[in-house]
Amino acid sequence: MHIKIKIKAALSIVLVTLILSSCTHDRKKPGMQYMDDMVTPIAYEDYSPNPVFANGQTEQTPVAGTIARGKMPYPYARTAEGQKLAGEQLQNPYTPTKEVLERGKAKFDIYCMICHGSTGRGNGTLFESGKFTAPPTDLLGDRVQNLPDGEIFHVITKGSIAGLMGAHGSQIKPDDRWKIVTFIKNGCSVKVK
Amino acid sequence: MQTKLAYAQKINRLLALFLLLFIYNISSVAQKSPEENFKTCSACHTIGKGRLVGPDLKGITEKFEEEWLIKFIQSSQTMVKNGDERAVKIFEEYKIPMPDNNLSEDEVRALLEYIKNYDPNAVAQTKPAVKANPNFLENNFSYLPKNTKGIFYISIVLLLLSIFDLAVTKFLKKAVAIHIMIIGSTVFLISMVVYQEAVNLGRYQGYEPDQPIAFSHKVHAGENKIDCQYCHSGAMESKRSGIPSANVCLNCHTVIKSGTNTGTKEIAKIYKAIDEGKAIEWVKVHNLPDHVYFSHAQHVNAGKMDCTECHGDVANMGRIQQVNDLSMGWCLDCHRKKQVDFDNKYYSNQFKKYHEEIANGHRKGVTVAEIGGQDCAKCHY
Repeated sequence: MHIKIKIKAALSIVLVTLILSSCTHDRKKPGMQYMDDMVTPIAYEDYSPNPVFANGQTEQTPVAGTIARGKMPYPYARTAEGQKLAGEQLQNPYTPTKEVLERGKAKFDIYCMICHGSTGRGNGTLFESGKFTAPPTDLLGDRVQNLPDGEIFHVITKGSIAGLMGAHGSQIKPDDRWKIVTFIKNGCSVKVK
Repeated sequence: MQTKLAYAQKINRLLALFLLLFIYNISSVAQKSPEENFKTCSACHTIGKGRLVGPDLKGITEKFEEEWLIKFIQSSQTMVKNGDERAVKIFEEYKIPMPDNNLSEDEVRALLEYIKNYDPNAVAQTKPAVKANPNFLENNFSYLPKNTKGIFYISIVLLLLSIFDLAVTKFLKKAVAIHIMIIGSTVFLISMVVYQEAVNLGRYQGYEPDQPIAFSHKVHAGENKIDCQYCHSGAMESKRSGIPSANVCLNCHTVIKSGTNTGTKEIAKIYKAIDEGKAIEWVKVHNLPDHVYFSHAQHVNAGKMDCTECHGDVANMGRIQQVNDLSMGWCLDCHRKKQVDFDNKYYSNQFKKYHEEIANGHRKGVTVAEIGGQDCAKCHY
């Protein structure tokens, strides 16, 4: 009889400790996992830390002097001369057709609208709310509209010389950058002139 | 007579005053106010807050004479070309040409007057005040599974008591039915809790880890209305939507050096990461097991899905939180309901039976599951 009670008591203690250790949901912890053989990857994931490389990251920048497939090096610097050179040497491969303009507008709405506004007048939400203190350029003004396409492409890729607009080359593909340029040159409108 | 004359004079004076006011109004409509005009300047210049792209304009009216300043503001590059010594010197120091300004001489004079009398403290107050939100990082809701610990405890205690009484103390000897009832219901409750907890194993619903920077989506996507893809620009291009690298933060934070809610403390972490060349170690919230393949590009481009369909109302979230459980049942639920764009070029030569059925009117649309979205090998390979 006594042994039975002891077993029961021992069992209940084990159960209580089990409950204490589980069943609690904490927002900071992902929760428990079972049979995680095929859940956690063996290979290093894009964003996982990596002991193989010196900087501890899995994603590495291309080795110096190499060019990735399908990528073109961009030789123009973020200076007044570089911008002028880009304007003289780069050619916009697109003409304003409906498809090009619509793609340009879609990308404009994602990357440009916050500062330059939906109409391109430089009155985006970020500036109007007073958070971004420097007034964004009026894209429909004479200064931008008279720039060569290559210079606008350069400003999107490398940022403005003034340093107030950042480089968007890492976010937008060159193809889409040209379509944005075409859209801006079309007066920020999708109507084919 | 005298009173009449005086009356006429008064009317004349009044008329003259109105005329003056009228002229003044016209002229003020034609000319932009110096504050308006200075907005263009402030892209590159400050008054008393140091060098930006161009020189600090404080005390400029004492350094240069008015005539020279007017010419320089109207067209600086003409002066450089004409070999004006001082203009060339400024251009060589700053190396960036100041664009021409289409302003009349009077407008430039007003602008210079504005710069001369500028009081930085007075202007700071007229700026639209951005209100701080103390709850910028908190979420109003949590998708964590319900805490069933209480029910579990009570059930266990009742069950043990009941068994103990049945076996040892025999207090309720004549009412065994009560024991059976208690044991039955507690066993049911315990198994329900165990079942639910087992189902939740390996699912991260409600996971909301602290991030290395007190970054709030409520502020960025909600208040500032920045498009999701501005930062997560891989969503249309690749398997991953991508965690933005620090240079993307800098696109805005080169100018915005102080946050509304956290001041400079949190934003300084971006500059530190850039200076040290180290990546910011964001904690990944949405994790899928390695044995399932998922592509953002496919769902956003072909599926035309909105980010919120899976990620919830991110614009009203402080810390990012996993809203859906990302279980297989949840995936298939959508695959069975969602209709594909069947006019797509890609499908025109395939699925002849479906095309015939649509033409006959027997079928309204085709779901993802019906074109193979339910096959094991579609996601597990």
